[in-house]
Amino acid sequence: MTRPSVLLTAFAGLVLIFLQLPVIVVAISAFTETSYLTFPPQGFTLRWFGEVLTDPGWLSAIGFSLLLAFMATFASLVVGTAAAYAISRRMIPGSEAIASFLMAPLVFPAVVIGVALLQFYAVVGWRGNFAALIAAHVVLTSPYVVRACLSSLSGVKIDLKEAAGTLGASGFTTFRLVTLPLLKPGMVAGGFFSFITSLDNVPVTIFLLGPGQTTLPVKIFTAIDQGGVDPGLAAISTILILVTGTALAIAERWVGFSRFV
Amino acid sequence: MMRPWKGVALASPLLIILLVIFLTPVLIMLPTSFHEYVPGKGTSDAWTLSNYTRILTDGYYREIVGRTLLMGAIVTALTFVLGYPLALFMARTTPFWRATATLLVIFPLFLNLVVRSFGWITILANRGIVNNFLMDIGLIDSPIRLLFNLTGLVIGLTHIYLPFMVLMLLSAIQNIPRDVEQAAATLAAGRLRIFFTITLPLTAPGILAGSILVFVLTISALVTPRLLGGPTYKVMATLIYDEFMLKLDWPSGTSFAFILTLITLAIIWGAGRIARRWSGGTA
Repeated sequence: MTRPSVLLTAFAGLVLIFLQLPVIVVAISAFTETSYLTFPPQGFTLRWFGEVLTDPGWLSAIGFSLLLAFMATFASLVVGTAAAYAISRRMIPGSEAIASFLMAPLVFPAVVIGVALLQFYAVVGWRGNFAALIAAHVVLTSPYVVRACLSSLSGVKIDLKEAAGTLGASGFTTFRLVTLPLLKPGMVAGGFFSFITSLDNVPVTIFLLGPGQTTLPVKIFTAIDQGGVDPGLAAISTILILVTGTALAIAERWVGFSRFV
Repeated sequence: MMRPWKGVALASPLLIILLVIFLTPVLIMLPTSFHEYVPGKGTSDAWTLSNYTRILTDGYYREIVGRTLLMGAIVTALTFVLGYPLALFMARTTPFWRATATLLVIFPLFLNLVVRSFGWITILANRGIVNNFLMDIGLIDSPIRLLFNLTGLVIGLTHIYLPFMVLMLLSAIQNIPRDVEQAAATLAAGRLRIFFTITLPLTAPGILAGSILVFVLTISALVTPRLLGGPTYKVMATLIYDEFMLKLDWPSGTSFAFILTLITLAIIWGAGRIARRWSGGTA
């Protein structure tokens, strides 16, 4: 196998730098002493981090987002893993068609799901309802759980379960000792995807929030949309960058996450 | 042992959620798009095709649809041109560098979309990094417009969807049987010739899949076009957003939502047909 040429390596390096560019810029400019955003930053201060992390508006948005992402991920793991299991074992007729239906929200225009739910929730009176918001997020996050669990299960010989049965293991023991460990990497990866997707979402969430409700990305989005950028937004963004990076590193070490991408 | 009721019981919670919270809302939106919007009153009871005919006849709306599709095509082409060499490098390099590059590719993918768009505003604004640098070295006297136009949207969206393309292409390149390229090398074919006659054609299904994904995601993107395009430079998704949230003209918004959905579904369906023909041809 030929190794990559110098030219190819250099080009790949430049593209990788391009991919990190906005991240680096935001993280660095959050430390500026000026009250406006400037690059390179002038001086060094942690003032903006302090301001953001003591602001009740930002804190409640962070709390709301985390709770929403946690609930949506938990629900997606429960219903998504069960569905993936049924599909992979061909327990239901039309497994292929059902699998593509379950994946549909991945390529369906998110903004269309957003306005469709806006109208639907307005008619049935669910707008601003937290459970309905979680359900909307499950629509967006469950495909990741289903996909990761299907890929976890597809590599496995179906006979493992039957072998366990033959060796006298009960249904529950087989599930606990054979099926669950096989599902674990898929569930961890799918759960991670799910959490990030929920935490990231704007195009559906923004249509469904009630008065007084806001998630972290919607709050940043609205702030930029209406007033432009400032160092406080850079600080909150930097916190998100650190959290995402750490979570990614943990997920990678835990289950070799990148093979599920 | 096959027990269908068990399978149905396992799959039905998710199926019910998708039927109630996804399929039904999308379908009941369809009738809305055939009503007229009466300012101050809301949706009228009379049926009309005007929301759809207006998209075809009104130059303003036609321009937005055309711009959205053009943007999708440019972003798809750019992610391919930037992504293929990177994917090729990742497939050929040592496991250590492949793992490192993979993490560098998926990190921005998982980083909040709003944050990434924010980064591009800082870079591309009139007083941003690019313009300041170009003015400092004296190449330009006044800032060039990199935001609130197609340039800004294309740069931001290329950055955002590049990881999808790279990951699709990487798996396609890794699926090429190794001996094919080695056989060509043994037969004294040069690097470029091997690339253009073997590697590139054999990854065509991956290129198609990656392109479709990037195109579909680009034409329906809301956050980046809104933040980098501002309130005036509109694409279909931001137009839908404004029709619903600012003008409260739901019939017009839903008609655009359906046009966007139809384009998306048509592209996915068409690509599926091409992919089937290809796999039929080689089998």
